Order: sequence, then structure tokens, then C-alpha cells
Amino acid sequence: MSARGQVVFKDIWKKHGEFVALKNVNFEIEPGEFFALLGPSGSGKSTTLRILAGLDAPTAGQVFIDGKDVTGADAAERDVAMVFQSYALYPHMTVAENISFPLEMAKMPKAEIAPAVFDAARKVKIEHLLDRRPGQLSGGQQQRCALARAIVRKARLFLLDEPLSNLDAKLRLETRVELKKLQRSLGMTAVYVTHDQEEAMTLADRMAVFMAGEIQQIGTPEEVFAKPNSIDIAGFIGNPPMNLVQAKYQDGDVFLGGHKFETTMQAAGSRDVVAGIRPGAIRLGGDGLQSRVDLVEHLGDTAVLDLDIGGALMRVRVSDENVPKEGDTVAITARPQDIHLFDSQTRMRLS
Amino acid sequence: MASAGNTAATDVAGVAYSDFGHVLAQRERRFATLLLAPAFLALLATTTFPLLFLIYTSAYRMDLSMPFLNGFVGLENYKVLLSDDRFWHSLVVSLVYTISTVILQVIVGLALALFVMNMKRGQGWFRVIAILPVVLSPAVVGMIWRTFMLAPEFGIIDYLAISAGLGSKNWLGDPFLAMVSVVVIHTWQWTPFAFMVLLASLASLPEDIYEAARIDRASAWQRFRRITLPLLRPAIVMVIIMRTMVALTAFAAIFTVTGGGPGTATEILNLYAYRKSFTELSIGYGSALAVALLIVTVIISAILFAIRRGK
Amino acid sequence: MKRLRTILLLAITVVFLLAWAFPIVWSVLNSLKTDKDALAYPPKLLFEPTLDAYRDVLFGSGSILPNLLSSMIISLGTTIVTMVLAIPAAYALARLRFRGKKFTGFYVLATQMLPPVGIIIPYYIVLRNIGWIDTYQGIILIYLSFSLPFAIWLLVSYFEDIPYEMEEAAYLDGASRLRTLWRIIIPQVRGGIAVTVVFVFLNAWNEFLFAVVLSGNTVRPVTIAMFNFVSVEQTLWAKLAAVSVLAMLPVVILGIVAQKHIVKGLTVGAVKGGGRR
Repeated sequence: MSARGQVVFKDIWKKHGEFVALKNVNFEIEPGEFFALLGPSGSGKSTTLRILAGLDAPTAGQVFIDGKDVTGADAAERDVAMVFQSYALYPHMTVAENISFPLEMAKMPKAEIAPAVFDAARKVKIEHLLDRRPGQLSGGQQQRCALARAIVRKARLFLLDEPLSNLDAKLRLETRVELKKLQRSLGMTAVYVTHDQEEAMTLADRMAVFMAGEIQQIGTPEEVFAKPNSIDIAGFIGNPPMNLVQAKYQDGDVFLGGHKFETTMQAAGSRDVVAGIRPGAIRLGGDGLQSRVDLVEHLGDTAVLDLDIGGALMRVRVSDENVPKEGDTVAITARPQDIHLFDSQTRMRLS
Repeated sequence: MASAGNTAATDVAGVAYSDFGHVLAQRERRFATLLLAPAFLALLATTTFPLLFLIYTSAYRMDLSMPFLNGFVGLENYKVLLSDDRFWHSLVVSLVYTISTVILQVIVGLALALFVMNMKRGQGWFRVIAILPVVLSPAVVGMIWRTFMLAPEFGIIDYLAISAGLGSKNWLGDPFLAMVSVVVIHTWQWTPFAFMVLLASLASLPEDIYEAARIDRASAWQRFRRITLPLLRPAIVMVIIMRTMVALTAFAAIFTVTGGGPGTATEILNLYAYRKSFTELSIGYGSALAVALLIVTVIISAILFAIRRGK
Repeated sequence: MKRLRTILLLAITVVFLLAWAFPIVWSVLNSLKTDKDALAYPPKLLFEPTLDAYRDVLFGSGSILPNLLSSMIISLGTTIVTMVLAIPAAYALARLRFRGKKFTGFYVLATQMLPPVGIIIPYYIVLRNIGWIDTYQGIILIYLSFSLPFAIWLLVSYFEDIPYEMEEAAYLDGASRLRTLWRIIIPQVRGGIAVTVVFVFLNAWNEFLFAVVLSGNTVRPVTIAMFNFVSVEQTLWAKLAAVSVLAMLPVVILGIVAQKHIVKGLTVGAVKGGGRR
């Protein structure tokens, strides 16, 4: 496994006139890591990737790859490969010519190109399509061709800009798994941009969550899921997203709809907070908050209930046994460790 | 990109960074300059330089036939021009020629486009035949009309006139008929242009608004007045602008058919400038006429563009 | 009633088609006649076709073959020089960011406003001084004044259709800007380049004013040479028709080949179709 592909973003700013696209972005990526840049559209994740690729330059700050400052280097000098959302296959070249193009540009001897191209194509299972042109390929095949073009050169960084978003749902799930296997087997450092939190959760070793041009949290998917840093991240990650309701905190407890829930926080005193509980962490029954079932959505093996708790909406995911009916009244409870508390002013995590 | 860079270096946490956006932009600019420079220089040499030189020569007396009289005359050529009846006459001929041909092209072209649009079969014939006139050299078109169409007792038009009992006419020898002839020839050659542009524009109008109008009980005429015409307006204005510019500087067809004659009956300003410069060899005065033509062109196009921008 | 309408529509159709096709068809017919048939009164629609007129104008004394060749050299030369200059310029205008881009684009359009007669007068003086009257380099150079703005603007519209990711992908694959342009972008606008070539050739073939002023014994395109067949004393009808047909043939073929693109080619820039007429 190569120890190449270490990335450092140091104090990166990007402005377009008055508009600040990136606000002091800092992160490090370790060699061999699968790193996701996750965030809603317009949050700066794509800009970050483009700056890393050398397609855009930061307004301020430095980019290091393998310890070397590449901030002012052209894309062509960086030895990075990229899969574009649109794939950007060269329509006038065959699949084989597309894949061999980066090798030609790297001045690889002709005799070595053909085997390298075949090898890359085989890794993504398109070796039977080498003579076709992109226009004659299905969407999934085009995506694989773009992947092959990116891996053939064994670049030190492998950048992916929403590479699965143009595939249909079933193919997306399959490709996701293969992509992860491919990255593992090649031992490449991958940087993956997506707005789909599920993709980031399943693929990434670590991820950076972008909100409005800033990184709000960096961590493993488990960490980000278990301990979201802010209300925005809490609301962005998880499906259905975390329930976030205004509540009153007092001496270690939080009051929701008049009912007391224990929390892990110890601090004394009283304040307004936003309490977050994941839909899957809410339990039905027992001595809990009484609430009415407004709507039941059956999803097959699970069901999602919309509950009315004193005018606020709370969604609960339950297993598909003993699902209450619409109009029923249920009691809900949650374990202290499943209750997340956020400052309602700063929107940051308290506990 | 560049403007963002200038401010960023100071206001980011007080730390001075070099802005690499600037560097990338500079590289891109250099590449653009490299690509543009040859064409830009060629255009400078073949358009801008002649324009400046033209203005320069228009301030000189420059007679190739009498070089001993050559010299700087300042605005003399323009003074002469303003009291030159032949100039004013050619300007009027230019305007008559331009206005009549443009109006005819638009009306006939629009009528044909509407007609063909509603045809169920045979559209292809019109589309192919419309291409022929517009790709031909106006000089060849002029030659064909001058001879095979209009030559007395030989041309088909004259034959038709005789057959219709009007008798043989000297189509290109009579001042009025000559003017009509050159207008008809220009209209013949360029109406297919208006036709093709307007047909393409018509074909791009959505079908469903007509169905909606039909349901609203609009008559065919109302549909044309209230829907087709307003939607077609940008295309019509574009056709008018383009055809006006071309008609003002038309040369080959008139040169071939009448040479500006009989006398100066069909001598548009463009042709007058040419004749003065290259037939009478008064380059200086010819230059002044060409400048006048440029001014007229600019004024008319300014008016037309104002109309286009306005309602 | 319905039948009357149909007949009326058919009649209008035929009249219009005939009005536009007739002058051309009639020239072709005359070119296939003998001089005697051509002069016949009333005009003959039925006659024994012959290629005599073509044989005479092509291979007889005063052959126009050199003139066809001259037209061809002018048109091909103009096309090649124009494309070599216009393709990189159009790419820069369509794709790259640089200061003064708007101005440059406007400048290219505005140069088309100049009346051709205003260009040829000063150019004639200059070319006379350097001895370039009646030379191919002289006429090709001045043809750039109308072919270059036209070609640049037509090509810009084709370059703009290519997604930006193409260049970005090529840069990331390690290609330089120039190589990206040559290997990735230009192959993708082949169609647009072909259309542009057709129109530039066509416009150069048809140009007349500059040719009248600059032609001589060396440079003598067919549009000028056809005047040899008309004179005050006599007109050589069949031969003139044959020459006209030969002068029309290349552009008609090109026009029909480029049929689908003709509206775009005619309206490019949308300020002016061409200062060449």
C-alpha cells in the first residue's frame, strides 16, 4: 500500500466578489483514507474539491499534497485523478482511448499503455467494451469508464464529485459497494463529494460536514452520527432526520411537552435548549410523554409515525410489529444517552 | 476573481497570503492572448487600419488621373459632398432601394413562411429551393437576370410582357423600370432568407398555445395578430436589421445589372463611392463618400437597435 | 368548395416555387442549347440538349478553366487562413476568462459594420504601393475582413456547446491547455468547423466588390471572367449560361450539403449577415 495522497488544507478561503464560498477551511486527510465531503448544495464541498484538484485557486490559504505546497500548481502538475458528476468522457474517443489518454499525457511508453488500459478496464468490468464510444454505453457503463480513466494512472489522489448521482437507485447501491471495494483494493486516497448523507455514511472512513462554506464537523461517520456538533448537522444526518424541538433544561433534566426526560448532562441551572432525539431512539410504551399519532407511514420492515407532542411534530421509527393506528395515543420515552442538547442561540452541542 | 484577490490578502485574519487565484487567472489570460492575437491583428490590419486610413484619405485631394493636384484639403471633400446633388440623389436611391427591398422581403417572406407552415405536404420543396438564391453569388444572379430574364426581346420577362400585350420594354434602360428591376432582383434573391429564418422561428412556436387560442375561440386572423406576430417579432426585427445592413451596401447585383444606370438612376451611395474612386479615380472624394456611407449605416443601425431594445 | 381551395393552394405553391426556381432552371436549360436555339423567338422550352457550350467555355479558346481555378485558389486560401486564425480566437472568446473579453467580442462584431467600399478604397492604395494588386495574397488578406468575424462568431456558438468538464478532465489527466484544445476540444467541434468551412468558402467564392477592384490577369475569378461573354456588340448566350452554371455549381452543392445549418450560418452574430454584398 502506497503512503501517498496525504492532503492538508490550511486556512483556505474562497471568495467570489463579496460572496464568501469557503470560510477558513482546515482539514487533513491521511494516505489511504476514504474521505467524504458532505453537505447540502452550495455549502462549499464542491469548491473544496475543485481547489484540491487545482481547477480553482483559493483566495487565501494553502493546500499541501504529500507535504508539498501545491496551492499555485496547475491541475496537470498535481498527479490527481477525478471522476466528474457528468463523467466528462471524451465523446470522440473510444473507451480504450479515453482510458489511455492520461497515460499518453504522462508519456508512458506505448507498449505499456495497452496492458495498463486493459487492467484498469477489467477492474471495473468493462474490458469487453473497449472499442465502443461513450455514446454507445449505458449510464452505468459510462460511469465505469470514467472510473477506469481515473484509476489507470495510479494517481496519488482519487477525487470523486458526486459520481453516483446520475445512476438510478438500484445501480447506485451496487456501485457504491464496488467503489468501496475498489478503493480498498487499490489502497488509494479517495476524496468523495456528496450531498447524500447515506452515501457518505456507508463509504467514508472519515467525513467533513460542510454548512454554508464552513466545516462544522470532521469525524468518522459513527462519531458524526452519534455526536453531531450542531443543530444543522443533527438535522442533516440520519433518515428520517433527528427530531429537534424547543425544550426547557433544568438541573440535568429536559422538559418536553411537559414531560421530564433525564439527560446525561450534569450542569445545574435552567435554560432554553433545543433537544434532539433520533426517530429510531424513541421507544413506545411505559411511563412517558403522551402523544397522538397523526400519521403512519409503512416502509415495509419499519414504520414511521408522526406524533403530535403539544403542537410540535416528532417522528418515530418503529419496527413493523404492533404499529399503533392513526389517532391512537402513545407514550414515548428515550434513554438519557439518546437525548442530544443544543444551545438554541449558538446552535452548538451542549452535552 | 481578480478583484476578490486584491481584498482577500488583507482581511483574512490579518495574515498575508499570496492569492493563487490571481496566478491561475494570469495564466489563463496569457493563453487567451496567445490564441487571440493572430486573429485580432488580422482584424486590425484588415478593418480598423483601413477605416483610419479611409478617414485620412478623405481629407486629401487624391486623383489618380491628375496626381499633380494631390494634397491635403482638410474638410473640403465633405463641403463639396454636402452640395453635391449626385450625393443626395444617391442617398435617396439608397434609402428607396433599402426600404422597398426590406419591406418586400419581410412581407413576402412572412406570407410564404405562414403558407408553407400550414402545408401538409411539399414543405421540403420550398426548403430546398429557398436555399438556391441565397447561396448564389449576387454577381451571377445579376448576370442571369440582366440577360436571360430582362434582355429586350430575349429575356423571359420581356417575352411575358410582349405576350401580355404590353410590348417590349427597355427594362434596364428606363430609369423607373431599372429601379424596379434592381429592387425585384434583390428581393428575389433575399426573400428566401427572410422566409427560412421566419419559418424556423414559426416552427419553434409551441403548438399548444394555438390550441389554447382555438379553445378561446380566436379566429385565424386573431390568432395571427395576437399570438403569431408578437411571438415572431424578435425574428422579424432581426431580419429587418440584417437585411437593411446588407441592402445599404449592396453592390454586385446592381453593378452587374445596371452599373448604376441608366445615368445615375440606380446609383446607390455605395456604388457612387465605388464609381468615384475606381472609375473616375477620385480616391479622396470617394473616401469621403465612403465615410458618409459609414455614418448613414451607423445611424440607421442605431435606430434599428433602439427599436429592438424598446418595446 | 374544398376542391377549389385545394386547387388554389396548389396553384399558389406552383407559382412561388416556379418564381424562385425558374431563373436558375432557365440558365441551366440555356446552357444546354446551341446559340441558335438560345436566340430563338419565342423562347424554346423543347430542344435538343447539347454540351457544346460547356465544351467551348471549358476547353475552347478563352477557356474559363483558369478562372475557375482562380476562384478555387481564392476560396480555399481564404478558408484555410480564416480557419487557422478563427479557431483559436473563437475558443478563447467562448471559453477563457480574461480582461477585455467583452470588448474583444464586440470589436469582432463591430468590424462587420464597415461598408466594404470603405475598406477597399484605402486597401487599394496600400496594395498598389506594395505591388500586391492582382496577387492572391492581396485578395486573400482583404477577404479576411469579412470571413474572419463571421467564422469567429459562428465557431464561438459551437465551442460554447461543449461542457466545461471536458477541459477540466483533460487538465486533470495531465494535458496542457494547448494539447487539451487540440486533442479534446477541436475534435468535438468537427461538425461546427465543417459548417464554418462551408460558409467561409461560399462567401469567398461569391465575393465581388473586392474582386472587381483587385483582379487582373493573374487573379481573375469566374465571377469577373463571365463579363467576357457579354459585350455591347454581342452576347454569347449559351456560353454565358454555361459559365453561370459552372459558377453556381460549387455553392449550390455546398448549400444543399449544409442545408440544415443554413439558417444558423445566415444569422450568426445577428447583427449583420455579411458586409460582402
